[in-house]
Amino acid sequence: MSGQKSGFAETLDHIIRFGRKKPLAMAGLFFLVFLIFVAIFTDVLAPYRMINGAMQINVLHKLEKPFLFLSAEKKAAALESGNVFWLGTDNLGYDILSYLIYGARTSVVLCLSVTVLSTVISLIIGMLSAVMGGWFDLVVQRIVDAWTCIPGMLLTVLMMSMFGNGILQMILVMGIPAGISGSRLIRASAITVKDSGYVKMSEMLGSGVFWKSIRHVLPNILPIIITQSAGGLSGVIMMEASMNFLGFGVDVGTPSWGYMVTNQGRSNMYSAPWICLYPGILITLMVLAANLFGDGLRDFMDPRLKNGVGTYSTKKIEKLSRKYLKRTARKQLNAHKGA
Amino acid sequence: MGKYMIKRILLLIPTILLVCLIVFALLRMLPGDAVDALVSRLSSTGTYTVDRAAVEATMGLDKPLVVQFFTWLGNALHGDLGDCFFQNETVVAAIGRQLPASLELGILTLILTNIISIPLGLYCAARQDTLSDYTIRIISLIMMSVPMFFLATLALIYPAIWWNYSPPSQYVSLFVNPLKNLQMFIIPAVLAAIAQSGMQLRTVRTVLLDNMRTDYVRTAWAKGAAEKRVIFAHGFRNAMIPVITLIGGSVSGLIGGSVIMENIFNIPGIGQQVIVAISNRDYMLVQGCILVFSLFTMIINLIVDISYKWIDPRVSLDNERRTGA
Repeated sequence: MSGQKSGFAETLDHIIRFGRKKPLAMAGLFFLVFLIFVAIFTDVLAPYRMINGAMQINVLHKLEKPFLFLSAEKKAAALESGNVFWLGTDNLGYDILSYLIYGARTSVVLCLSVTVLSTVISLIIGMLSAVMGGWFDLVVQRIVDAWTCIPGMLLTVLMMSMFGNGILQMILVMGIPAGISGSRLIRASAITVKDSGYVKMSEMLGSGVFWKSIRHVLPNILPIIITQSAGGLSGVIMMEASMNFLGFGVDVGTPSWGYMVTNQGRSNMYSAPWICLYPGILITLMVLAANLFGDGLRDFMDPRLKNGVGTYSTKKIEKLSRKYLKRTARKQLNAHKGA
Repeated sequence: MGKYMIKRILLLIPTILLVCLIVFALLRMLPGDAVDALVSRLSSTGTYTVDRAAVEATMGLDKPLVVQFFTWLGNALHGDLGDCFFQNETVVAAIGRQLPASLELGILTLILTNIISIPLGLYCAARQDTLSDYTIRIISLIMMSVPMFFLATLALIYPAIWWNYSPPSQYVSLFVNPLKNLQMFIIPAVLAAIAQSGMQLRTVRTVLLDNMRTDYVRTAWAKGAAEKRVIFAHGFRNAMIPVITLIGGSVSGLIGGSVIMENIFNIPGIGQQVIVAISNRDYMLVQGCILVFSLFTMIINLIVDISYKWIDPRVSLDNERRTGA
C-alpha cells in the first residue's frame, strides 16, 4: 500500500492498467464475472425456476424447437399461452435456457471451489516440502512423482466411483489431485525463496517452519500462485465438463452443462441437434475466457515480458541490416576517398 | 550418460511401487466390492446358491490386505497381473487384446498433433504480427478451448445430418484391413489432435520467439544466414526442449482423452475397458490397466529427459534443474 491511495483505489488502478494492456484478457475476466453474476441470480434470471431443488418439467412441451426457429403460428401460440422457450426444450421437458442458467451455477461453484482447494493443498505440500527439506521433502516428492504418473482422468474416474456422484464429491476428487500435482511448481519456486538471505537471517533469529513459510515464503511466491491458479482454471472447467460427460459427475437432478451434452444431447442428437449445441458452446466460451484471462495475467505478471512476447520480424531485421550495410559501405567509401 | 540412465531407472522402482500402493489402496477403499457384484450376478440367475466365503477364497480376497498386496506385487514381477473377475481370461490377455486400439489412436493423434502444430507454430513466429499470425493464433485459442467430447459429438451429428455419413463403429484390426481400420480411427484422431495442437502451437510460437531474441540468433542474422537456416538451425533447435517437454506431458493427456474418444466412437480400447472395470469393481483389471498406463507415462518421461541431452549437449543431466523445462 503506497502513498495516500487506499487499498481499494490501488487495486482499481491495477485492474484499469491490466485492462489497458491486455484488453482480451479483460474481456475474458468480464465473461467470467458475468457468469458468476448469473450463478448468483439464477432464480431471478431463469424463466422456469427450480421448485424444491428440481427443474420444472413441461410435460406438454418436449423437444420443442428454439423460439426463433418456430413457425409463425406456433410463435403466436407460444406468446399467447406464455410458454416461451427461448432455446427450446429437451426430451425431459426442461426449458433449456433455465437449465443452462442453473448449470452455470454448478460450473461456477465447482470451478471456484476446486481452484481454491487445489491451491491450498498445493501450497501446503509445496511450501512445507521446500521449507522443511530433508527426508520429509524426499518422501513427499516421491509420492508426488508417483501420483503424477497415474493418468489424471482415470484417477478421477476411480475416485468418483469411490465417493459417488455429487458436487461435494467432485470438488474433493478434482481438487486433491490437482493440488498434489500443482505442488511441484510451488515447491520449485519456494526453494529459490528459501535460499535467499532474509529467510536464512530469520532462521538464525529462531523462526520456525510455520513463521518462515507464512511470513517470508508465501508473500514472495504469491504472484506465481495467482498465475498458476488462473492458468489452471480452464483445465478445471474442461475436466468438470468431461467428468459430467462420462457420467461420473454431479447428481442426476443437478443441472450441468457437460451432463446435458451427453445425456439429453447425445440421446436426441439427430432429432434435436440444438440441445447439445448450446451447453457445448457455453463450455467453450467459458474455457476460452479462462484461457484468455490466464494467459493475459501471466504475461502481465511476468516482469521479463514488457509487452507480451518480444517482437521479431524479418522485415524489421532486414531493414536494419540493410541500413547497417549501407552505413558501413559509406564509411569504407569515405575512408577510401580520404586515403 | 550411462550413469545417469542407471540412476533414473533405479529411481523408477520406488515410483512404480508407490503407484501400485496408491492404486491398490484406492481400489480397496471403494464401497461395494467385486464379491458383492459377482454374488448378486450369480444368484440372480437362480441356478446357483452362492457361498460368499467360498467366492472370496477363490478370488484370494479373504486374506489380509497386506498379504493380498504383496501376492499381487510378487506375481506382477513375474508378468502375471492376475485374472479378471468377470471375464474368463487373465488381465494380461485382456490388456493385450485392448491395447493395440488405444495405442494406435494415441500414436495417430500424436503424429497429427505434431504435423499440425509445429509447422503452424513456426510459421506464426516467423511472420509475427501479420494477419495470418493473428488468424492462426485466434483459431488455436478456440481449438484449445473446445472440449474434446463436444467436438466429437458435433462430428457425429452434423455429417450424419448433412451428408448422411456416420463413422464406422465396427472395429477391424489394422493387420486385417488397414483401410477400414483407418476409416474408423482417422476421425477421432483428427479431433483429438485438434484439441491437443492448440496448446502446442502456441508453445512452439512463444518459445521460438523467445529464442529469436537471443544473441546467437542475432549473430546468425548478422553473418548473413538465410532465414530458413536461422529459424531451423539456430532458433528451433534451441526451442525444442520446452516443446519436447510439452509433447511428453501431453502423452498422459492423450490417455485421458482416449477414454472420451473411445467412449464416443465405440473403439474397443483400454480406456473404455478401465471405465467398465471400475464400475464392475474388477480390482485386478483396474490395477493392471493403471499400472500399464503409469509405466507408459514413466517411460515417456524417461525418454523425454534423455532426449534433452541429445537436443542440447549443454544440458548436464546430473543436475536436477532442467534448462527451459
